[in-house]
Amino acid sequence: MPTALRSKGFIALALLPALLLFVVFVIVPIFWSAYYGVFEWKGIGASKFIGAGNYREILQDPIFWRALKNNLILVISAIIGQIPIALLLALVLVKNSFFSRFIRSAVFMPMVLSTVVVGLIWGYIYHPQFGLVNTILEAVGLESWTRAWLSVPHVNIFAITIPINWSNIGPYMIIFIAALQNISSEIYDAAHIDGAYGRKRLFYVTLPMIWSTVVVTMVLCISGSLKAFDHVMVMTQGGPAQSTELLATYMYNNTFRVYRYGYGSAVSTIIMIISALLIGINYILTRRKER
Amino acid sequence: MELRTTTAANIAIDSTGKKLALKGLSVLGKLILIGYAVLTLYPLYWLFISAFKTNEDFFKNPYSLPHAWMIENITRAWKLGNMGRAMLNSTFVTITAVILTLVLGILAGYVLSRFEFRFKKVAVTLFLAGLLIPIHSTLVPLFLMMNKIHLLDTYWALILPYTAFELPLAVFLAIGYMASIPREIEEAAMIDGNGWWGVFGRVIFPLCSPIVATISILAFLRFWNDFSFALVFINSQVLKTLPLSLSLFSDGFGTDYSLTMGAMAIAVIPTIAVYLILQDQIMKGMVAGSVKG
Repeated sequence: MPTALRSKGFIALALLPALLLFVVFVIVPIFWSAYYGVFEWKGIGASKFIGAGNYREILQDPIFWRALKNNLILVISAIIGQIPIALLLALVLVKNSFFSRFIRSAVFMPMVLSTVVVGLIWGYIYHPQFGLVNTILEAVGLESWTRAWLSVPHVNIFAITIPINWSNIGPYMIIFIAALQNISSEIYDAAHIDGAYGRKRLFYVTLPMIWSTVVVTMVLCISGSLKAFDHVMVMTQGGPAQSTELLATYMYNNTFRVYRYGYGSAVSTIIMIISALLIGINYILTRRKER
Repeated sequence: MELRTTTAANIAIDSTGKKLALKGLSVLGKLILIGYAVLTLYPLYWLFISAFKTNEDFFKNPYSLPHAWMIENITRAWKLGNMGRAMLNSTFVTITAVILTLVLGILAGYVLSRFEFRFKKVAVTLFLAGLLIPIHSTLVPLFLMMNKIHLLDTYWALILPYTAFELPLAVFLAIGYMASIPREIEEAAMIDGNGWWGVFGRVIFPLCSPIVATISILAFLRFWNDFSFALVFINSQVLKTLPLSLSLFSDGFGTDYSLTMGAMAIAVIPTIAVYLILQDQIMKGMVAGSVKG
């Protein structure tokens, strides 16, 4: 049997590469961005310490607040769009028949596509001249509804939520199906004896049983929506006139287009704080008091 | 977030779902579902028919099949967009990062599930936090850091961050799976004269194939489709990955619509092929991955 010393060596050698790589590339950057956030720095030349100056400027920038609002629109659209549709689909497709497997794999398909492809396809679908949306509206006589979906402020951010929902409903549906199939049939038998079936069974048995899964998907919606970046970068790059800016594109544009590294770092830190806050709030709101 | 000890293996999508199903779908219900599925697939179908049209055909008849199938769109896009090179880059970066993730992640998961040592809690907490960190908040500092150590614009500028960000998930999936491997197997292997490395390499790792599949699938999809890291960390033409070249292609040839659609079709085909072959594993893997994450 190996000695304690040998296991110590093994522990160190086996764990350290993973831990080091992770700490250097994931944890350390967080502190770096907090550090750079207090400097005015163009990337080259000297950096100037300005304390909370960047943060003050961010909080006074209306574009930042618009970006935050757009991010919240994405979060809300994910929670009210993706979760209910996915749950509904899961409830009717829980059986493993050929039919439901077929529908499931169709609904899931967009998930495996690269976000660039999704963004580009939908960019064409929304195209003002030949896009599918406008040609369909014209075909059914609703010319007055046609518009440049990705250009009109206040409309475009909602237009952007659709492709995001399109690609994310599939995985949530599969998560719900797995949760539904984990409910043992004894529970349903017992519920039946107690007179719970149909809608009653859905609301008093099924939904409470998978509630923890619903909470998990909500957290995923929040963190997923805060990660939204690719779709907007591909479809609008945050424009026109920064009307579709998200926190992440706001950070990207400030850092890599106008080269304000200190400012961009401060935005990064704010993104971290906001996502921690949102996840915390969600945790408190959805925590059930019993049990 | 609560961590469950269920693994991909026992999240059984195929297990008994019979009793729970709403008693048979009505014809109307089925029609609605088919309609929904068609609606979901239509953008992809539209991409493929448009990829084979002339621009004129594309403008005039957006819904119909191509009048003449323009294979040239595909071949021209392949050449103009340097798609072969991009595909090679994506393949190399993805495979290297997947292998690194597997080896480092499973090794770390094994250590964290089997041994007691002083900094174990710290390590577990760090990895746990990693599941929640929004990737984009690290783009700027990572860029600055890799600039300093001259890592930018190399394959490693993608491989290392990809692996690092996928490790927490891999580690937790591995920890969960290790619970299902009985310790007696290791003891037997030790009596046969193996050290810990021997136990891991000859006994544990070969037993991990289900979790290897899950981790590889999740990592493959994430790395293969990544756009943001490639956008920020890669600059030189010869290193560009598929999603990055595709987005640049659409910037450059944006007005040649069917050509751009051709390039997109090329990029989409491998992913869809992988999906059609492995869809059950992909779905299970996604569930395992996201319930953890």
